[in-house]
Amino acid sequence: MNAWTVILAAGLGSYLFRLSMIVLFGRTTMPAYLQRASELVAPAAFAAMAAAGVATACMSLGVAQAAAPLAAVAAAVIAVLRAGSPQAAILVGMPVLWVTTALLPS
Amino acid sequence: MISLRTDRRDVAAGARAMVPWLAGIVPFGLVIGVSAAQADIPALAGWLTGPLIYAGSAQLATIGMLNAGAAPMTVVAVALIINVRLIFYSATMARHWRGTPWWWRLAAGYLLVDPSVAVGLDGYRRLGRGRGHAHYLGGAVLLWVSWLAAIGVGATAGAGLPASLHLEFVIPLYLVGQAISKLADPAQRRATFAAAAAALLALQAPLQLGIALAIAAGIAAGLTARPAGPAQPIRPLQPSTEVPR
Repeated sequence: MNAWTVILAAGLGSYLFRLSMIVLFGRTTMPAYLQRASELVAPAAFAAMAAAGVATACMSLGVAQAAAPLAAVAAAVIAVLRAGSPQAAILVGMPVLWVTTALLPS
Repeated sequence: MISLRTDRRDVAAGARAMVPWLAGIVPFGLVIGVSAAQADIPALAGWLTGPLIYAGSAQLATIGMLNAGAAPMTVVAVALIINVRLIFYSATMARHWRGTPWWWRLAAGYLLVDPSVAVGLDGYRRLGRGRGHAHYLGGAVLLWVSWLAAIGVGATAGAGLPASLHLEFVIPLYLVGQAISKLADPAQRRATFAAAAAALLALQAPLQLGIALAIAAGIAAGLTARPAGPAQPIRPLQPSTEVPR
């Protein structure tokens, strides 16, 4: 299974999800606990991928350089909490990453 | 009846109702395009996540995990777990599309994603069933075109930018922003912290299975939180605060 077939399989599965209730069942009600679980998927997935992504980025750098992504993440968290917009994470985090990377010894 | 010739005004109204959503969606599409260009997969394959998967966070997970060398079945499983909500959207629209021709359900179903459901439901509520179809189509098609264009622009621009910009870090920062913005709800807060902790603990798990485990841990932790009130019907979030997840 290469990248093409993975994307095709994920796409086909997603399309079947979209059609499932429309075509196969026509049901409009779902168990409440499944609905609650569905609403938790996005925050759990975002947090898991964010934590793994930041940790992987830090581990791929030296001890000194790892401070740059950590500083960027810290600035991004503060920016989102203050601005109330998730877009602030990139707008503030990337410049902090560039500045700290330039300042830190390589 | 589905008669688009007589419903051009409703198609246009649906497209106009989608415009506020595009402010949040286009930057997300650009980010996904950049990540596809930076990832170690064919550029066309990265772009194809747009028309094939057509759901931002599942596309992001697919591209990121393929780039990290995850096992194919793990990637597919994580993408589908993230997209489980589409079943609920399918159930939500089923009552409006009951009795419509097969071609309509196959085509309109393909376009189902958070913003198109939000705009579509608003159209059915205000305009009724017949005109609501045209309203849904207007919004959903504009979203589809904008999404694929944004990914294409991001992929093209991302491939030409220097590595010193560290654009690969745009994705973790985007995800941090999304995660932090969901901390107000107790269940989502619990899911966020549990998933992040589990992802760090399982960082060395083979085949990127850690991500799948962390999502499961986050959902389980979130379900232990006391519900805020009676179960609410699943609904897409408002424009400019959310993107096609």
